[in-house]
Amino acid sequence: MKHPLLKFEPIIWLLFGQGILVGTLLLTGWVLILGIAAPLGVVDALGFSHAHALGASLVGRLVLAAVIILPMWKGAHHLRHVAIDMGGAGRDAVVAPLLYLTALLGSLAGIIAVIRL
Amino acid sequence: MSRPANPNAMQPERPGRTRTAPPQLPPKFPFSGRYRAYTLFDWTGLIYLLLGFLALRVVWALGSGEPAWNHVIRDFEHPLYIAFHVLSLASLIFAGVRFFRFFPKSQLPRVGPVKPPPQPVILAGLYAAWIGVTVVFSLVLTGVLFQ
Amino acid sequence: MSERPKKKFIVTRFDPDTDDVPRTQEYEIPVEKDWKVLDALNFIKDEVDGTLSHRWSCRMAVCGSCGMMVDGEPKLTCKEPLSSYGDTVEVAPLSNFPVIRDLVVELEGFMDKFKSVKPWIVRAKRLAVEEGPMRQSPEELEEFKQFSMCINCMLCYAACPVVANEPDFIGPAAIALGHRYSLDSRDEGAAERNEIFRGEGTVFSCSFANECSEVCPKHVDPAAAVNQAKFAAVIDWATGLVLPRGGER
Repeated sequence: MKHPLLKFEPIIWLLFGQGILVGTLLLTGWVLILGIAAPLGVVDALGFSHAHALGASLVGRLVLAAVIILPMWKGAHHLRHVAIDMGGAGRDAVVAPLLYLTALLGSLAGIIAVIRL
Repeated sequence: MSRPANPNAMQPERPGRTRTAPPQLPPKFPFSGRYRAYTLFDWTGLIYLLLGFLALRVVWALGSGEPAWNHVIRDFEHPLYIAFHVLSLASLIFAGVRFFRFFPKSQLPRVGPVKPPPQPVILAGLYAAWIGVTVVFSLVLTGVLFQ
Repeated sequence: MSERPKKKFIVTRFDPDTDDVPRTQEYEIPVEKDWKVLDALNFIKDEVDGTLSHRWSCRMAVCGSCGMMVDGEPKLTCKEPLSSYGDTVEVAPLSNFPVIRDLVVELEGFMDKFKSVKPWIVRAKRLAVEEGPMRQSPEELEEFKQFSMCINCMLCYAACPVVANEPDFIGPAAIALGHRYSLDSRDEGAAERNEIFRGEGTVFSCSFANECSEVCPKHVDPAAAVNQAKFAAVIDWATGLVLPRGGER
């Protein structure tokens, strides 16, 4: 049975690969500061105007887009493998498009989010 | 204790002359031996997906004005959020270390006339990039860089 | 003369004429300290139970015939010293393969996948004899030599979780061999193989468990080959978008 996503596999794999590579590189500092150090009071959280000025710059928008979009594709792709490994190869034709659609919609929302900064 | 693999696994296009027993999964799959690390690696996909959507929430709040931004910052102080981020940091490090271990050997020996650097150099470069990007991004997010 | 120590072997048995499903049978036999697992199986067949069926040939880890699951891990039984194992050893047929009888698995499924990757030098035109031999430098040989060392023992297929769950996946050894030919400076078939790699048995199904490389007795590193093949297939796909190949094959 020809899988409906066969012709998209190369681009999905590229996005997934960058999701791990670039996603991990960027998310480590993001989680360390925004998720742990600032909430625990080890450092001060960025004030709104400073954060907005950084985020709304060209480089800032690209970085934020990467932080949103790339991990979603890594996540979707790996969760697809989890579903298959749990014996669900037969359901992959349904599960895979659902997961990738989630990543796609999240990516589109991410693009809108950085544009409206 | 053997469990069945997909019944079509490694089946020939034309069946053999005698009845065969169905294929069995590797006994240690998915939670024993080396498979444990592999399965965990795949499950970090859930963390990455959630982090992506959390990042979306943060950036959306940033674009919605100061009250929304402050709301997100306050939410992140909740112990559950902190616990999730600690788990995320562990997942990122685990996934990064595993991926970086495999990345050098998956580079083609040549693309046209271009050869990649030796594998130890690629590995060192990856870790240097990871540390460098983390330090720079952390300094930016704490307001030390680009005041 | 001191008594030889004994070990117990729990061996999977399956006779399609009499068994509905595979079962296990226990054998307790005296063993020598320098035996491999295969020596024990041959002793069982020769001295205890002549009905036990298993494949073996070279006894020196070059033919790839004697692959089996030993204590849950795919191994070449001629290579595994018995002294590495405890007093009880479980021997089963390779995982992920249909079982013909006892420890003998059906390999035709692999042959089908193997043929599909065109594991030979593909050239549009053969060189004439007067043109002399095709020359290849040591550097060119190094690019693919590791992937040519495969002995088709199938341990990688037995270890791969994707082979277990996705029947269309071409699998480690077949992809590694196809990639070996694509990397060979004498070959012109990389584009054809990249299309096969992006096709039904797609290389992108590989989830980089790396189990194939962990179990490979010849250090072929099929995981490296499969993941290099992904890059090659993507580059081919991307350049194909920009520069479509005008019907050349």
